[in-house]
Amino acid sequence: MIKDLSVMIGGKAGDGVLFTGNVLARLLKRHGWEVATYRDFPSNIRGEATSYTIRASQDKIYGLSDQVDILLAFDCDAIMTHVPHMARRGIVFCDGEEALRLPPDHSRGKTFHKVPLRSMAREQFSREIFKNMIALGALSYILDLNCSLLEQIISEMFLKRKGEEVVKKNIQAVASGYAKAKEITAEKERHPLMKGEDGDCLLLSGDEAIAFGALAGGCRFFAAYPICPASEIAQWLARYLPQFNGVVVQTEDELAALNMAIGAGFAGARAMTATSGPGASLMMEAFSLAGMAEVPVVVAHVQRMGPSTGIPTKTQQGDILQWIFGSHGEFPRIVLAPGTAGECFDLTVHALNLAEMYQCPVVVLTELDMGQNFRTTKKFDLGEIKIERGKLLSQDDLLRMKNFKRYEFTADGISPRSLPFFKNGIHLVESLEHNEEGYRDEEPLNRIRMMEKRMRKLKKAAPDLVPSHLWGDRKSRIGFIGCGSTLGATLEAMDELKERKVPSKFLQLRTLWPFPTAEVKRFLTGCEEVFVVENNYSGQVATLIKSQVNPCAQLRNILNYSTRAFTPKQIVNPVLKVCR
Amino acid sequence: MKNKEAYHLANPTWCRGCGLFGIFDALKRTAASLDLEPEHMAIVTGIGCHGRLNNYFEAYGFHGLHGRTMPLATGIKVANPRLHVLAVSGDGDAYSIGLGHFVHALRKNISLTYIVVNNRIYALTQGQASPTTSFGMVTISTPFGSKDFPINGPALALAAGGTFIGRGFSGAVAPLAALMEKAMRHKGFALVEVLSPCVTHNRVNTYEWYRNNIFAVENEPGYDPKDKNKAWEALQHPEKMATGLIFEEEKPTFEELVLADKEKPIAFNDLAVDRPSLEKIIEKFR
Repeated sequence: MIKDLSVMIGGKAGDGVLFTGNVLARLLKRHGWEVATYRDFPSNIRGEATSYTIRASQDKIYGLSDQVDILLAFDCDAIMTHVPHMARRGIVFCDGEEALRLPPDHSRGKTFHKVPLRSMAREQFSREIFKNMIALGALSYILDLNCSLLEQIISEMFLKRKGEEVVKKNIQAVASGYAKAKEITAEKERHPLMKGEDGDCLLLSGDEAIAFGALAGGCRFFAAYPICPASEIAQWLARYLPQFNGVVVQTEDELAALNMAIGAGFAGARAMTATSGPGASLMMEAFSLAGMAEVPVVVAHVQRMGPSTGIPTKTQQGDILQWIFGSHGEFPRIVLAPGTAGECFDLTVHALNLAEMYQCPVVVLTELDMGQNFRTTKKFDLGEIKIERGKLLSQDDLLRMKNFKRYEFTADGISPRSLPFFKNGIHLVESLEHNEEGYRDEEPLNRIRMMEKRMRKLKKAAPDLVPSHLWGDRKSRIGFIGCGSTLGATLEAMDELKERKVPSKFLQLRTLWPFPTAEVKRFLTGCEEVFVVENNYSGQVATLIKSQVNPCAQLRNILNYSTRAFTPKQIVNPVLKVCR
Repeated sequence: MKNKEAYHLANPTWCRGCGLFGIFDALKRTAASLDLEPEHMAIVTGIGCHGRLNNYFEAYGFHGLHGRTMPLATGIKVANPRLHVLAVSGDGDAYSIGLGHFVHALRKNISLTYIVVNNRIYALTQGQASPTTSFGMVTISTPFGSKDFPINGPALALAAGGTFIGRGFSGAVAPLAALMEKAMRHKGFALVEVLSPCVTHNRVNTYEWYRNNIFAVENEPGYDPKDKNKAWEALQHPEKMATGLIFEEEKPTFEELVLADKEKPIAFNDLAVDRPSLEKIIEKFR
């Protein structure tokens, strides 16, 4: 029985690979399978090779496996590129004769189903785009998938936007592909998938989870400039915020985006922005302003490959230290790193609370792999959400108060906050160094006290921050440390290592700053070998650990700065080298 | 009507004779004549001598980053449209480092009053050339004369779709206050550029120089601020700078267009979790 399956759809940008994959992902999810997707796209609209992998499993998964089992190839290139790396007994759907051009050692052991997708689509539906649903029909036959579920998904995805006629034709295309596969394959070439119940699960991307978290967490003002791979957050919110009396503003650039969010945060809205790559660099200026002005604001950063414009459609974790140590001057900031779609939701809600509780900028740091790929996740628990507004004063509080000072020196460093429009709460929010009233003050003693007041805010924040998550065998002496979307590959690597009698544990950092020094120290003392798994060149998490834990055990880097996310093997192999 | 002293928080420490005194006075008069409660005003300032205004004027204030008054003020206004939001910038703030924001705020027609204090020099940093410094003018940053042609802010605003374009002179406080009052009553984005002498770092563009180089559009026979062509002509005058209400038109405002509930500011939303609505949205992820 198949317990884990990866299907790759390969074609050219503009072929509809993404849409086809999204339909398939949903279809497998509705069969009760865990799903994780991975898109490998160029950064242009048409013409270049693209592939989209949909992995389904009976176990909990958070990412890709090492191999592709089934390839739906829309062109010859996809075959030549991907067949050599497929599982040994892989199944390939292809248009015609291209399989014959593969060297025998690449095609050996694999099954080729020749379904002339393009010509069938042209002949039967007079448009090539119908090849996509023909392909899914053929696949449904081989895997014995429930076609009525597929039809249902097609109508959900098409009906509103394209109308009944299009739905009908696509359903016909599915039937046509199904019949064709039945005609050309033997019964023993079918691999019926186990069918289960589609439990109380969701299928969504990290970007969607952040957007939904923003909505549920009370964000009502969102300003952003479009940038891959963070745009989806703003786009999603643009659709839903108005019904909650909220607004999304598309700004002229990222300088404006963060400043605008800070303006709205000052006025009393829960305000947020999202960005990536160069956009984050532009935000560094206002990041410092939020720190100095003590205005609550949340930035979601979906990391993409840099430096500079880099490769906008590929994943990377190259901007971690930028948010922790970046911008001018020193000020308190909180950086959270969700590792799953569920955590994208939870941590965004939490970030909005932390921003108001600590009156400082909070960053939710993810990556393209998390942001744009889909994962099944347990339904969000809305009953768990609490809105914490910290020391925000009401009009009544202010009327009872004498001598309100916006930047009052307090024991915990957090000063009560009033909102414009409130009587008795007038104050100046100042980007210059200022005194308790908010007025510019350059006296050395005031500067020292004010600096200490701001920095003190996070000294005792630990109980409110998100603790690291410890995975695996607590007693094992081999440890991994990482954050974000490398989680999936790390957990699977651990499974494989366990099978090879190398048990391990994994400390998933979920708050990167303020750094969870005590947790990491404790973890390190229980390890003989520590591997820090990161999607970057220089080992930024390892650098961070070494800067905060002193003396620090030897850390081994497992780094990946290629254009693809980690696969489990890339983590297993270096560990075996050391730990055999 | 309130007394203008209701807004007087402290005596300014600008250089004696600075044009900003006239602007400060005009602003107080405007607020008084509109009978505004100080807590209903938010004044956003940029970086420059004008940025001290928050220390002297009684209202909510945000002294932000150089050039970023527009996005800050936009965020405040969208979050709470009941506030009278004023932004005050210098010529460097508005026309150099913040130029992109300026054009986009105009394009949005968001209801802000934008006062651009134009002294044709970077004064706070000791007198470097600014984007409105005259061509050829010698400054500490242009020892051989400025090689850049100056920006005409109001003309740029007209081209960018501005719905209220005015220019005043800080040496004539009463007409300036009258112009500011019109600007604050305007529905949409209102630019008031104020020609404002810097008595310390700009010895060329003095009060007297301005008096000789400006003309009031309302004194021009047949001038109509609703006439865009006339406004353009006035702003392109070969010798003198037009002052007064140069152009005004009506257009929907950004806040009207984007806010779902005009009566309830986003800033004062009840954030309690609306479970039934959220549960419905969750179903899209099935």
